[in-house]
Amino acid sequence: MGIYLFQIINGIGLGMIYFLVAVGLSITLGLLGFVNFAHGMFYLLGAYLTFQIVSWGGSFWAAAVAAPLVVAVLAFTLERAILVRTYKLPHKYQIVATLGIVLIAQEAVVMLWGPLGNGVSVPDSLAGVVSLGNFQYPLYRVFVVAVAAVLAIALWLLLERTTFGALVRAGSESSEMVKLLGVDVRTLTSLTFALGGMIAAVAGVLIAPIRGADPSMSGEALGIAFVVVIIGGMGSFTGSIVAGILVGVVQSVMSTLWSEGAQLMVYVVMTLVLIAAPRGILGRA
Amino acid sequence: MKRRDFLRLSAAAGLAGGFGVADIQRALAADGLDLYMLSAFSGPFAANGKFGEMGGRLAVKSLSPSMGRSVAYHTIDTQGNTGTAVRKIQEAINQKQGRLFLGGALSSEALAVSREIEHAGGVYITYVGADEITGSACNRATFRWAVPTYGAIRQTVAPVADMLPKAKRWYTITPQYVFGEGLLNNAKEVFREKGIEHVGNSYHSLQDKEFSGYLTNAAASNADVLLILNFSQQSIDTLRQAVSFGLKRKMKIVVAWSAGLDQFATLGPDICEDVFFGVQYWHGHDAPANRAFVALNREVNRATPTYFTAADFAVTSMMLDAVRRANTTDPKRVAQTLESMKWAGITGDEEMRAFDHQVSKNYFLMRGKAKAKMRDADDFAEVVSFGKSFPSQGQSQCKLA
Repeated sequence: MGIYLFQIINGIGLGMIYFLVAVGLSITLGLLGFVNFAHGMFYLLGAYLTFQIVSWGGSFWAAAVAAPLVVAVLAFTLERAILVRTYKLPHKYQIVATLGIVLIAQEAVVMLWGPLGNGVSVPDSLAGVVSLGNFQYPLYRVFVVAVAAVLAIALWLLLERTTFGALVRAGSESSEMVKLLGVDVRTLTSLTFALGGMIAAVAGVLIAPIRGADPSMSGEALGIAFVVVIIGGMGSFTGSIVAGILVGVVQSVMSTLWSEGAQLMVYVVMTLVLIAAPRGILGRA
Repeated sequence: MKRRDFLRLSAAAGLAGGFGVADIQRALAADGLDLYMLSAFSGPFAANGKFGEMGGRLAVKSLSPSMGRSVAYHTIDTQGNTGTAVRKIQEAINQKQGRLFLGGALSSEALAVSREIEHAGGVYITYVGADEITGSACNRATFRWAVPTYGAIRQTVAPVADMLPKAKRWYTITPQYVFGEGLLNNAKEVFREKGIEHVGNSYHSLQDKEFSGYLTNAAASNADVLLILNFSQQSIDTLRQAVSFGLKRKMKIVVAWSAGLDQFATLGPDICEDVFFGVQYWHGHDAPANRAFVALNREVNRATPTYFTAADFAVTSMMLDAVRRANTTDPKRVAQTLESMKWAGITGDEEMRAFDHQVSKNYFLMRGKAKAKMRDADDFAEVVSFGKSFPSQGQSQCKLA
């Protein structure tokens, strides 16, 4: 297998990880219109809760179920207690509030788990590599890609084919109209926010065996999530997948073509998309 | 009335006459010693400050009884931000009359504050990686404990090349900034000397977290050895991903600039096993001063010392020793004393090179142990070799003389 073909395959795998990191932000930003800088915090907590559960002797699979649920409850509570107060204020207040929450969470993580990173082992059943010609690809990454694909389908079905999804989408267009139908828009909004946080936590859980858990990871996740959401278009799941894969493939292929510019090219692509399609590749008009 | 009380009352009553507030503060501290340790205590590099402070305070605790004066140890949180570091150092210099400084979380911080401290007539001992500190940007005020990139490469690449004579194809992964370039250029020089073919290099930015693309390049090169030239969290990410992509089975892996114990603990023995690491300090090194330091740290801090604990212990001990030998806190005389100092350090015999203010000390080549062979929870690696390699005065870009 040629190196470029492998880099494309690697890029698709990487892109699916980026999709997982970004899709929760796409929900809160695109459907709720809320600028959520705390998105990376949910990802951070997902990874740390996984580390903690595994450290206590629990299995990775138990962590994969428990951590997203805990984070969803936290996100729901946070939205109800603090963020709801910023909805009618300009976006800058949402940014300040969520940034403040991130800083508190990050320092709390340092206090609880220490400033050093912590490793999480790949589950034994997913250890090893898949051989692709001369190259080897980690089996665990194959698993992450599969989970991301299943999650993408499940999310699409939830938001496009269920009453809940229809109400969320309608609420994002006109919350007054949905209220007139007798729907509790407040709870709907809180649940949607919790869903976004839960998906970010799923990404944190899945990324933990790949890069461990460390206090700085919330900022990294936020950066790549914004890039993917901007390229794909806010609120578009298909856009997040396409953008995630595009970013992953560009980064991976550029690693061979021009390694020092691999990271830069991700932002060049974002700039080009913004110029050609300001709402993103599949953004809503 | 004691002199201190008199001065306090004088200042409070405005009786200081021609003395400025700064003069009064200086007089108050005349028989004491104020050390300012700068590091990141918050943000992504908070580990540096936390563990560094443990080492610094340990040095004060163990050496202050022999100082004949009180020692105050202050910390400055730079947040890993050069601008913040410079602003806070200026505050310490102008408002608190600080003159004796230690530490530094990042090379960029250290380079910037070293100029401020020199301008203020202070003394600064650091342990950052950038070669400019004791090279092209050296100055009379600044001293460095850590081995520069030259020595780090000489003490890792050369011995590994000698151990693996058939491994003639090496691939490198390098962060594209001055520190990475320093390591890479020195590695290329050793490659030439040892007849090693440098089959490729992947540069990456300091923001990169995903290294699979670069590791794919390494795999495609059919190299015998992968030499990782980044540091801190990036070397952790690179190594972890290299192992997950099966590279450890295809080639030997060398991490030239590792933080040592804390990195090994983060990675775990499964990843570290059979990987070579270059480290500035190892707690298991058999030197009298190190045995005493490790025992003291375990007693006081209830932990085995990490790199930052050791580095801050080393630079704080150096400063205190210099003040004690000079019998003054006058920065100029402290700096002059440091220039000619030799001592039994935690890495073995250490001495200051007067012409570039670089400490001559050992650098260690380690190899990760299998989990089954670890004697205790911190026994992640064995020392393969150690030694001192430094650019000669002729090679040095420092022009202090």
